[in-house]
Amino acid sequence: MDKCIACGACTEKCPKKIDDLYNASLKKRKAIYVEYDQAVPLKYVIDPASCIKLTKDKCGNCAKICPADAINYDDKPETLKLNVGSIVLSPGFKPFDPTIFDTYQYAKFPNVVTSMEFERILSASGPTMGHLTRMSKDHEEPKKIAWFQCVGSRDMNRCDNGYCSSVCCMYAIKEAAIAKEHNGDDLDCAIFYMDMRTHGKDFERYYENAKKKGVRFVRSRVHTINPIPETDSLEVRYVTDDGRLETEVFDMIVLSIGLETDPSTVKLANDLGIKLTRGNFAEYETFKPVATSREGIFVAGAFAGPKDIPQAMIDASAAASAAGELLTSARNTRTKTAEAVPESNVAGDRPKVGVFVCSCGSNIAGTVDVKALAEYAESLPYVEYVTNNLFACSQDTQDKMAEIIKEKNLNRVVVAACTPKTHEGLFQETLINAGLNKYLFEMVNIRNHDSWVHKETPDLATDKAKDLLRMGVAKASLFEPLREGELNVNQTAMVVGGGVAGMTAAKALSSQGYQTHIIERSDCLGGQALNLFKTIKGEDVAEKVADLENAIKVDDRITVHLNTEIATVDGFVGNFKTQLKGGSKLLLEHGIAVMATGASPLQPTEYMYGEDPRVLTSLEMDIKFKTKDPILDSAESAVFIQCVGSRQPDRPYCSRVCCTHSIDNALELKKHKPDMDVFILYRDIRSYGEKEYLYREARDAGVIFIRYELDAKPVVEKSGDSLVVRVKDHVLGRPLELKADILTLASAVLPNRNEALAQFFKVPMNDDGFFVERHAKLGPSEFATDGVFLAGTAHYPKPLDETVAQGRAAAARAVTLLAKQKVYTSGQVARVDAAVCSSCGICVSVCPYSAPSFMDTGYYAGKAEINPVLCKGCGLCVAACRSGAIHHGGFDNSQIFAQIFTMSA
Amino acid sequence: MSWEPKIVSFLCNWCSYGAADLAGVSRFQYPPNIRVIRIPCTGRMSPKFFLSALREGADAVWVSG
Amino acid sequence: MSKEVIGSAVVVGGGITGMQSALDLADAGYYVYLVEKGSSIGGVMSQLDKTFPTNDCAM
Repeated sequence: MDKCIACGACTEKCPKKIDDLYNASLKKRKAIYVEYDQAVPLKYVIDPASCIKLTKDKCGNCAKICPADAINYDDKPETLKLNVGSIVLSPGFKPFDPTIFDTYQYAKFPNVVTSMEFERILSASGPTMGHLTRMSKDHEEPKKIAWFQCVGSRDMNRCDNGYCSSVCCMYAIKEAAIAKEHNGDDLDCAIFYMDMRTHGKDFERYYENAKKKGVRFVRSRVHTINPIPETDSLEVRYVTDDGRLETEVFDMIVLSIGLETDPSTVKLANDLGIKLTRGNFAEYETFKPVATSREGIFVAGAFAGPKDIPQAMIDASAAASAAGELLTSARNTRTKTAEAVPESNVAGDRPKVGVFVCSCGSNIAGTVDVKALAEYAESLPYVEYVTNNLFACSQDTQDKMAEIIKEKNLNRVVVAACTPKTHEGLFQETLINAGLNKYLFEMVNIRNHDSWVHKETPDLATDKAKDLLRMGVAKASLFEPLREGELNVNQTAMVVGGGVAGMTAAKALSSQGYQTHIIERSDCLGGQALNLFKTIKGEDVAEKVADLENAIKVDDRITVHLNTEIATVDGFVGNFKTQLKGGSKLLLEHGIAVMATGASPLQPTEYMYGEDPRVLTSLEMDIKFKTKDPILDSAESAVFIQCVGSRQPDRPYCSRVCCTHSIDNALELKKHKPDMDVFILYRDIRSYGEKEYLYREARDAGVIFIRYELDAKPVVEKSGDSLVVRVKDHVLGRPLELKADILTLASAVLPNRNEALAQFFKVPMNDDGFFVERHAKLGPSEFATDGVFLAGTAHYPKPLDETVAQGRAAAARAVTLLAKQKVYTSGQVARVDAAVCSSCGICVSVCPYSAPSFMDTGYYAGKAEINPVLCKGCGLCVAACRSGAIHHGGFDNSQIFAQIFTMSA
Repeated sequence: MSWEPKIVSFLCNWCSYGAADLAGVSRFQYPPNIRVIRIPCTGRMSPKFFLSALREGADAVWVSG
Repeated sequence: MSKEVIGSAVVVGGGITGMQSALDLADAGYYVYLVEKGSSIGGVMSQLDKTFPTNDCAM
């Protein structure tokens, strides 16, 4: 594997074709293949079950053609024994296989595809190169596509997956929206669903936009598909909401398949002795969301319940935090560090450029005349040494290169080979080993950008290589050694907010050995959790919160500042200085900060809230349970109204927790008093994941669910002494009148909007007032601003288990910074020449990372300076500077101009 | 001989430069008329780069990011 | 119990979750073995075309 240079010659010569699983078997690949073009590691592998050499001892083409001698047919699986301190299981999920459903005829009809297949059809690297066409032989562009939701989810009859897969509603909407982008607005997209579950951050907006773009949402579960003879189109029969039987013909049907645990994962869990839930996911406690039933083994991602990408990323970091906690005493004992070679000073020396032209076997040399290119290189200014290597990246060439650099006293190195995106680091390492500053290196891309894409015109490809090399040498000649700044990271952490998220984050930080301060504006820890009655797993919230609070109080690494707020914040990653005000007036120096400022329930202004004591919010209902209020015994009927203040134009987001909360409370009432009439008035029930089991349980217990539309909200009135709720029944289509001895309003979750705090840490908030994370998918627990992290309902409404997980996740992300003890800056950052700066402030205003600022003191007070720690090297300020005062390491004006000026020979 | 345009392309390191790499990995064949200059971000792009590229004889300047 | 703590961890599965866990553990100063049954890391997300709500490329 180390020898493979990913040239792909083996695949070209391999005669055996097999199903391409990466492309959901919609396409073939060879028996020797790379999983996909961007695969990491980019190494070719042999499918042992179909390789002709391995199965019949014939062929052997790949070994013959391989220029790197990388094929080893004798490679055998090995069993390795690893001694480790903890284990994280993240085996993922298996997309549900709908072949077993004869009603959908998935296996029989080419135009019935799974959502996974549809992803590949939409993808530019997929079987149709991103052209949305039918899979039937006509390969026509579809005019009408239907999505069927809940295939392999929320279904106890035909498969055993009673849970909701959580992600399918959103991906179906996405696929429909992207399909329309591909084939135009005329494409008719219809999504057949039971409940639309867009409970994630910004998902409801996406749903509303899809409606505006004309995606049809049909609330109906289709059970039969009939083929239309000779057209490969499909007839669908369904019953509409108002009871009409409809027939429609679609060109293509996408089955929105669910997520399930792979049988091999179930076996792994059994072998490890880990308890699973009824849905075959790893079981966990609400306040220990990534811990399995076995100590030292943690779980993250879809194996801990079906979930989307950001939730999986939160899990991942949370699991790292929990797994790392056990290993704290052995930190840095198993890691390895490289030895440093002293750097020679070449500043001011005349450039002496060494050029290494790589043949990449025949990958480059097969098209580009590398000999001519090397000869040409010798004629270029400042070039002192030129050589041609078969493989510039091989270990022996690297060693030789370091020797040559030292021997010839080269002070700039240019490698003409593949792409810097994959190989720049490797060659820079070689420069470092030769005692040369790593920024004195330039890579010229004559493979990916040249030999591979101009095979038919070798002469022109050689000319292009010469041009690119000349430009590269001209640029490299102007390189200066660049310094990487080094900065100590203050080892103290600050957590803003003392709710469950904040307390969890603080505890996780302290457990890994860091002094932590919790800043809480109220007079106690606990936040909103203090109002909650129990979790859906039946755990007593008050008890768990008290445990957490006690653990914090006895922890001598954690200091709690109650009744305290933040007055000012100075500094940046690794070196913040925060002035507290109120209860504590400390000037706190800290390296990182976690925002866990939480959220609060909306105080409703409708449904007679505040006018009648029987009208409560969900949290007030919890308090009734906690205090065993006599109303629980006396009430004969209870009504819950969902989406109070959520999912409406002025607050276009779903509050995520309310459906489950109401269902749980409804069940609790039924348990308390089985003959009580309990109604839940809802728009879509969003009991995602295994919470679906609770929904089912509630229906079985006799809780009655009545759906209403946004434009026909229930009406609450007083009739004599009684409270009456009027709502139109969606099944019967006629008005209903429900008596309510208790009326619970599932009111929206509102963020504790804190503009000042956002300003202090330069972190953004969205229109709804929730903080905006670094990346909606991949960076949910941190901000784009370095050193500032995010947890809990300040990010988005979420239940306790997800809150605890994110508290841990924020801590884990923070620990990665604290553990390094130092932050290093890249050398390729912007730098101000203060003597030329005109103090116009453009750099300060354009920088997305708040790196430039005006100097307060000294000779150049009032001029701009750029904090290299915060600079990401994008060059926006360099381009924007009207005075030419900003220089850019590695991409300075003179260097880019040198490339432009040498573009023509 | 027919006229061939000379095109200078400024490609963002994080997206288009990688995309051009990927075109290579996928062996897409395209005319050899572009000369790539890698920039750290299209934010780095200065109007002066356009103008001087045109002055140096480029028939077109392509910025992608 | 005074058993010596081993400062390393194994992460089973090289999808996005496993990769992030491995990175966070490694960056926190622990040696990580990332175990993946396939020939490359990336998992199911690498097969997706785009991701909402931003419609970013999933790759």
